[in-house]
Amino acid sequence: MRAIEAVGLRQRYGTRTVLGPLDLVLEEGERLAVLGENGSGKTTLLRLLATAARPAGGELRLLGLDASTERTELRGRIGYLGDVAGHYPALTALENLEFFCDLQGVERPRARATLELVGLAAAAHRPAAELSRGMAQRLGLARATLHAPQLLVLDEPDAGLDEEGREVLAAVVAGRTLVLATHDRELASRLCQKSLDLSRRGLEVYR
Amino acid sequence: MRAYLRVAGAVARKDLRTELRSREMLPALGQFVVLALLIANFGFDVGTGGSRIAPGVLWLTITFAGLLAFGRTFAAERDQASLEALLLTPASRAAIFAGKALAAAAVLAACEVVLVPALGVFFGTPVLSLPLAAALVMVTIGMAGLGCLFAAIAAQTRARDLLLPVLSLPLWVPFVVVGGRAVQVALGGGGELNGALALLLDFDILFVVVASLAAKFVLDD
Repeated sequence: MRAIEAVGLRQRYGTRTVLGPLDLVLEEGERLAVLGENGSGKTTLLRLLATAARPAGGELRLLGLDASTERTELRGRIGYLGDVAGHYPALTALENLEFFCDLQGVERPRARATLELVGLAAAAHRPAAELSRGMAQRLGLARATLHAPQLLVLDEPDAGLDEEGREVLAAVVAGRTLVLATHDRELASRLCQKSLDLSRRGLEVYR
Repeated sequence: MRAYLRVAGAVARKDLRTELRSREMLPALGQFVVLALLIANFGFDVGTGGSRIAPGVLWLTITFAGLLAFGRTFAAERDQASLEALLLTPASRAAIFAGKALAAAAVLAACEVVLVPALGVFFGTPVLSLPLAAALVMVTIGMAGLGCLFAAIAAQTRARDLLLPVLSLPLWVPFVVVGGRAVQVALGGGGELNGALALLLDFDILFVVVASLAAKFVLDD
């Protein structure tokens, strides 16, 4: 099954076209890096793929479903980490994840297991407000993968991550269908099989 | 139904836990209601007719305390950029809304627990009165339903602090009018209490149902 199938995908803010028209196909199991200069439309594309925004034009099918009309079903099958993590600062790391377990309809013990996966078990009872930027990013990764999504959409997940954090990121995305926006071409080639440069509109296959 | 209750419960628990830890609203609301009563006490010639003007002061204070309490429900989510993560889950919009309204109603109810005894001190009204408590509970539920719906709309705009009262106050008028009558009777004035409480119940059902249905569209981008 195709994870992403976009035909003539466009996005506009007011009268200004910020993305597209773009054709894109990603098969299940493939990992795509989205590259490009600031303002080239990376975040806009990822928000469309995460169903956080509606396209201004074109067709978008995700995991075989229409991204405009079957959004609720898709949201249980997509994991998204945006450019701002958006945790609840007064809740602990564990409480943040348990809350999203309830919303995603998954068992609460999954929260602790996911925290361990991203290396945050020791910080489970620390309020999110007291986490460093890199730790907050790891918590965001945990939230995005909590419900074992079929498609993972990550907007600059390497921001604020140290070397160990990057290893965690590599372990988390391994074997998943992934779209990742980044400025780091080395990370892109390491984690993904192909890249899409929105500044040049070119699709490059790494291997 | 189980999923609905699970989500609504989780959202309400999260909001109340956040409030208890951050103490953003409750201490400020407590101070607000006491100060409002203090100003009313000096502003009106209370004399021996304290219980006659007390219902008006009560509803004015609750109305403005409600605006403060409900205004934060969605604005806080937007400020900390967590609203998007919340809405990108498959959870029912109506359940998220119900949880938010429940937590906001609990915050306003806590504020009323301070308000009623303070009203007794400043205006000589009875503190323990079952009809008064019944009227307050019913008004709080209805106001929370409408207030949270408009808070969700207002949170999407820059002028949210201005928009919330403009949207909410006109539709809260029925609660203030009928609630005022119920409290007047509960505090010893003439009139029929059961009729006023039944009308408040009707308003609650109408506005909570309408707000829950509308929430689906308001919370969908």
